[in-house]
Amino acid sequence: MKSKINIADLLARAVVIVLGIFLLFPIYWMIVTSFKNNLDIYRFPPQFLPRNFTLENYGGIFKDNSVVLYLNNNFLVSIGTTLITLLAASLAGYSLSRYSTRFGRFVNTALLSTQMFPIVGLILALYMIFRNLGLINTRLSLMLSLSAITIPFSVILIKGFFDDISRSLEEAARIDGCSRLRTFISIILPLAKPGLLAIGLYTFMQAWDDFLFAITFILTDEKRTLSAGIAMKFLGEVSYDWGRVTTVSVCGVLPMFILIFLFQRYMVAGLTAGAVKG
Amino acid sequence: MTLKSKAGDKVFGTILLLPSILIVGGFIFLPVVQSVFYSFFNFKLTRKKMPLVWNNFDNYRSLIESGKLQNAFAITFQFMILVVLVVFLMGLIMSLFMNRGSSGERLTRTLTLLPWGTPTVIVALLWSWMFQAEYGVVNFILMKLHFISEPMGFLVNPDTALASVGVAAIWRQLPFMFIMLLAGLQGIPSEMYEAAHIDGASWLQSFRHITLPFLRNVIRSSILVTIITNFKQFPLFWTMTGGGPMDRTETLAILTYKNAFVNLNFGVGAAVAASWMVVLIAFSLLYNRIFKEAEY
Repeated sequence: MKSKINIADLLARAVVIVLGIFLLFPIYWMIVTSFKNNLDIYRFPPQFLPRNFTLENYGGIFKDNSVVLYLNNNFLVSIGTTLITLLAASLAGYSLSRYSTRFGRFVNTALLSTQMFPIVGLILALYMIFRNLGLINTRLSLMLSLSAITIPFSVILIKGFFDDISRSLEEAARIDGCSRLRTFISIILPLAKPGLLAIGLYTFMQAWDDFLFAITFILTDEKRTLSAGIAMKFLGEVSYDWGRVTTVSVCGVLPMFILIFLFQRYMVAGLTAGAVKG
Repeated sequence: MTLKSKAGDKVFGTILLLPSILIVGGFIFLPVVQSVFYSFFNFKLTRKKMPLVWNNFDNYRSLIESGKLQNAFAITFQFMILVVLVVFLMGLIMSLFMNRGSSGERLTRTLTLLPWGTPTVIVALLWSWMFQAEYGVVNFILMKLHFISEPMGFLVNPDTALASVGVAAIWRQLPFMFIMLLAGLQGIPSEMYEAAHIDGASWLQSFRHITLPFLRNVIRSSILVTIITNFKQFPLFWTMTGGGPMDRTETLAILTYKNAFVNLNFGVGAAVAASWMVVLIAFSLLYNRIFKEAEY
């Protein structure tokens, strides 16, 4: 009986180690490749430890201004999207939590249903809308379309956080003569900080990941964001410069990794809260 | 301090909803309606505005007669089922093991989250690099393990391209599934297992009668999220294969995009999008119904 458990345990351990290698090796490989010179990158069998450690790929991409530009645009768009989403979602989430009407419930269902629509399917109509608004080739078009995607989940998530805050606070504030808006801003909102952090992180990550909108709405290089920039600049030529590609990738991944290391708890809380409520 | 009454509450509540309604309504619901509308018209993207011409379901007909739509549906479903199954099974195994409270759990959890934080296009580039046909590291490892005898082009071979994109998708989505299931497992009170153990239940029995029922909600929503993600998947295909080789990775997303922005034929692109939306909505309704029935 005892040895049977041990074998199962060992097997489970082995499976988890294999899965762990599967998850982590590609990241290791990206980092290692970015520090190799072009000769070593194309060696077969590959070198698992870089023998001639070099920074020439990093020097190369920073000499060329465009990567800094892409990163900068990605930050602008992601921060803009996050601010729009935070504002819109916290207002709507609060309304659905406290001032629930039949219309509010309808809005709630409508928001839930958006998760189903394929964005690629909407993009051509969206393109026409932005063209009519004169917003093609602006960062604002990216912020608005990304916000439209992140707002629904964010509203539902932040509503859950507001639901957990006691209503007696509002009653007390009302007796003290505090207006509805002031009550919300100076009493309720500060209490929902973990929720705001969760939706902010969720939105930032979604916006950082955007590729589709950027390749469709952005036409000039100086407004291009990271994913679209990498795909257009480093791919599609005759042969790929893998040293550069992995180096840019490291730069694109780094901000996300830092966020994960710092805020993992809030990200996970946001994800799981959303999932359990479905 | 003007309106104190119920009416004031109503006005205030509605005003708070407005920004979200405007953004989501204008940039999701309006395009949905427009896409369905365009799909019935001859509508090409040109410099000048062209009049819309009703073309008697020609967009749909040409898609079906060329077999493109059926092919895209088949490939999208194949891809989705493969990825969802593998992600779920791997995620379940990982979470069951990690739930035993192994040492260094926090660090392991942080590290396993990293693929989830990697932007999709970078995931695509990274795996294109590893799958590289001549000197890619996957070729090397598979040769070392004697699975293959010489390097092969995973992404250019029609038989392996779809599965190879699948591997990249699995890599990025596994952490999400793992974290969700782990959170679900940690919500199960340990007394349940202790009681079952005292009653002489086997591991399999407690898994079947305690773990699975408790996890049902988490499983339902995380699988639905994974299904939808893979149904919509665009950047991985666009970057890794572009729909090739020989249309073997031409999913609905790729077919829509190609028609709209490569062939500049919005009408046909919209027709793909519209048929796709109908299927996805029907699918989610059915999915929720199945899970609801399983409740009783």
